[in-house]
Amino acid sequence: MRLPGWAWLALSSALLVPLAGETRPHYGGTLTVELSSPWHAVDQGAKSALPIPVAETLVRVNSQGAVEPVLAVAWQHDPDYKRWRFSLRSKVAFHDGEPLTGAAAVPSLLGALKQRYRDVSIEAGGQALLIEAGQAMPDLLEELALPEAAISRTGDASPYIGTGPFRVTQWEPGRHLTLAAFDGYWGGRPFLDTVAIEFGAARGRADLFDIPVGPVRRILPEGFATWSSLPRTLVAIETGDVQPLLPAFTLAIDRTPIANVLAQHKADPAFGLLPQWLSGYEFLFATPPDWARAKQIAPQLRGASTGLGYPPYDPFLRSVAERVALNARDAGLILQPTTAPNAQLRLFEVMLESTDAAHELRRLMQQSGLGALDDTHDPSTPQGRYNLERGILDQRLIVPLVYLRETYGIGPRVHFQPSRDQFSLHLEDCWIEP
Amino acid sequence: MSFRTKIFLSITATVVLAVWIVAAVVSALVTQSFERRDAQRTAALAGQLQRELDRRGADVARRVQAVADSDPVERLAVNLGGSVDTSTYYAEAQSLAEEQSLDFLELVGPDTAIISSAEWPARFGYKEDWLREAADWNKQAAFLKQENLADGSALGLIAVRSVKAGDGMLYVAGGQRLDREFLQSLPAAEGERFELYRNFDSLGRSNKLVDEVRRQPRQLTQVTDAASVTAIPLRGRDRQLLAILLIENSRAELTNLKRYIQATATAVGVGGALLALLLSFWTASRVTRPLRNLALSVREVALGKWDTRAPVTSSDEVGQLAGDFNAMTQQLVEQRDRMIQAERVAAWRELARRLAHELKNPLFPLQITIENLQRAREASPEQFDEVFRESTSTLLTELGHLKTIIGRFSDFAKMPAPELEAVDVNQIAREVLQLFDAQLRAPGSAPVETRLQLDAALGPIPADPDQLRRALRNLILNALDAMPRGGALTLRTSGYDGKVAVEVSDTGEGLTPEECDRLFTPYYTTKQHGTGLGLAIVQSVVSDHKGTIAVHSRPGHGTTFRIELKTQGTR
Repeated sequence: MRLPGWAWLALSSALLVPLAGETRPHYGGTLTVELSSPWHAVDQGAKSALPIPVAETLVRVNSQGAVEPVLAVAWQHDPDYKRWRFSLRSKVAFHDGEPLTGAAAVPSLLGALKQRYRDVSIEAGGQALLIEAGQAMPDLLEELALPEAAISRTGDASPYIGTGPFRVTQWEPGRHLTLAAFDGYWGGRPFLDTVAIEFGAARGRADLFDIPVGPVRRILPEGFATWSSLPRTLVAIETGDVQPLLPAFTLAIDRTPIANVLAQHKADPAFGLLPQWLSGYEFLFATPPDWARAKQIAPQLRGASTGLGYPPYDPFLRSVAERVALNARDAGLILQPTTAPNAQLRLFEVMLESTDAAHELRRLMQQSGLGALDDTHDPSTPQGRYNLERGILDQRLIVPLVYLRETYGIGPRVHFQPSRDQFSLHLEDCWIEP
Repeated sequence: MSFRTKIFLSITATVVLAVWIVAAVVSALVTQSFERRDAQRTAALAGQLQRELDRRGADVARRVQAVADSDPVERLAVNLGGSVDTSTYYAEAQSLAEEQSLDFLELVGPDTAIISSAEWPARFGYKEDWLREAADWNKQAAFLKQENLADGSALGLIAVRSVKAGDGMLYVAGGQRLDREFLQSLPAAEGERFELYRNFDSLGRSNKLVDEVRRQPRQLTQVTDAASVTAIPLRGRDRQLLAILLIENSRAELTNLKRYIQATATAVGVGGALLALLLSFWTASRVTRPLRNLALSVREVALGKWDTRAPVTSSDEVGQLAGDFNAMTQQLVEQRDRMIQAERVAAWRELARRLAHELKNPLFPLQITIENLQRAREASPEQFDEVFRESTSTLLTELGHLKTIIGRFSDFAKMPAPELEAVDVNQIAREVLQLFDAQLRAPGSAPVETRLQLDAALGPIPADPDQLRRALRNLILNALDAMPRGGALTLRTSGYDGKVAVEVSDTGEGLTPEECDRLFTPYYTTKQHGTGLGLAIVQSVVSDHKGTIAVHSRPGHGTTFRIELKTQGTR
């Protein structure tokens, strides 16, 4: 049975809402978490669907795309968007007790913004921050909402000190991370006392664990429920200098089996660069496979083998590459899945790190090797993003395959407050039954 | 070719031929034995292959049945009856295949669409229509099948089992790869090698045997110097040729053995040749030396040394031959001596007869004259003086005849040694012929035409001119005597090869061969009044000049005498 994206959204919400409503939130307890992939930095999971709430950003973008204050309570800018002034929330302290001031925030912010605005400068005075650049910064709020712009610092007691609801108490890179509730959190103490995260474990004994995408079939323990994020990782093929075969190739790809079978329904077929929930127009790009047409085009190209590269040690992408090669073979094209880095076609993943469509489109283009946006398209508007995507897809520079969801198994005693969005699970909203 | 060489070649040929025949026979027998062994081994291996395939097929069928009986498959079958989403079983075949050590395993739904594939996971959803071909797979044995894989094709031993799933069937098709490991499991003897050609692969290099079996699938064997290769076709369910198993029996052992036999035969042959050489020397010393001595003796006898004796060194046939040779030469010497004695006696008798004959003619008138004198003295003394004068004249005449006869014999006996000087043979010939001009022109003489044919290119030769004149004169006299009724006398000179030839020809009655044979015998003559010394003198002169004389004559066609003298290299 294949379920559309909206159905999964409804199903997930239906699972969580009763859980939240049946019992009253309870303070205390330790939430055990098992994650299949090891982290080598504390903030590595900041972009996943289970972000670790240790450090916070000045603002955040909600699921509707609106900017909400977090550590910054007010902001204003000049007409040219070159000069921004922020007022920081007062009475906010770091986990080591140091108060959050403008000066304390500057290093984190400067490190994040320098990547986008090279000549950016930040001046701090008390709880105020003045951010200036030689170029206009109309997207500065969205930039400041990214995990990279979270305000943190290192200290003697902990390698990662923030102002979030949890503080790091134990950290063994790649193996173990323990978080404790930060009683001095400005937004109020979280329900959980402790969060113990084990990396690389798949024992299924934890209260919360991730279910990786791919062929590994995992039977949920009794009473466990699953939660799936919105589609947030694009799996696509970057095309190189093999333009002649692309028309037949794109017609031969059947995305549905990849989403339903290979990804075990933890993915949606992708026809655009941004998912439907983020762009709103992705359905316009949908094209079903047409093997008959593909065969008509393909015979002229027979005989040559084209490499389809995929990252080594990634069984899911390998299975996708093999399936795509099989589809291509049906059309008479010979694709050879390979881990060689110089393959003509390259299978890649790009994870959305925010709900900012413009930012994600820009970032996606950079990460897929298409380069920076030119001035002909304005990704800040839906029309501009559509035109941009249409151009890319028509040229078949990128062939989207599926958008993956992140899925977690949630134990019966674990409850979450009504979710702010389906983009992430928020540990600060979690509580467990005693 | 010497006798020793012949012995050597004979012995060598005998030894080499014998060794070659023995080597060839042994080599043929060994080859036959090896080929028989290879054939038996190949046949045994073909049987072993079939048994191994049967055993593995049974094992595969058992494993596939175990998969079909497993909980996941049973659960899938139940779910299929309820039309459940089968995507969750996508990876099921891999774990099941791993559990049962199967290289291939596919779980196929009632619509023959692959639910899960262990060997090619990406092929889920694709149809395996061939599964509809059998009514009841559970009664079918394992079979060979070409399995398509992502990276090509493989040859598999496949078994299919079916499980009831609702109204349809869930098919479990699994198997094991027939690859190098399978070939290694076959019991290969030393020097035996297996190779599997898959019919669906493109051959890297041309192989005649494989091509032949591909054209007409049947078991074939190809024998080369290096190996004998047997190709066994392996077929699938519908008898199509899927693969060819090549069983290669190395013939290195046979080749080495044959090489050893050849080397041994060569060594024995060479040894035989050396032995033959030694044997030929030994045989030569024992056999050919007496023969050579005998041959030497024969040669000496041929040169005139009739008293030569061959040494008798053994009592065998050669020794007897030498003894017989000695006896023969002894007899020859004795016969020669007897003949010489007889010839001497005959010569003396002939001489006596000639003397008597020559002397008797003058003596008879002498006797008559003397008796007339005596009768005249007694009967008529007055006429005695006249008779005396007449008788003494007759006596003197006859005594003159006697003196002449005796002088001839004396001249023949007193033939002096030639005094050589440069002589113009043509000049001598002219002079001698000129001496007979008066005689030939005399009235009443027979008409004889003289022809002088001289080679003007002749140079002087070393000769005694007087003796040469005498010899030519005798020959001309003989020629004139041979033509009492006339004819043609030809005197001819010529030169060739360092020799000068002088020919005197007549057109007389000619001579019989017997007369020719005895012509130069002293005192032999065919004339009524000859002494038989003329030609003997001619032969004596020619012999003293180291020349030769020959006669050519046929009755009725005249006679030609030809004298050849050396020019000492000058012409």
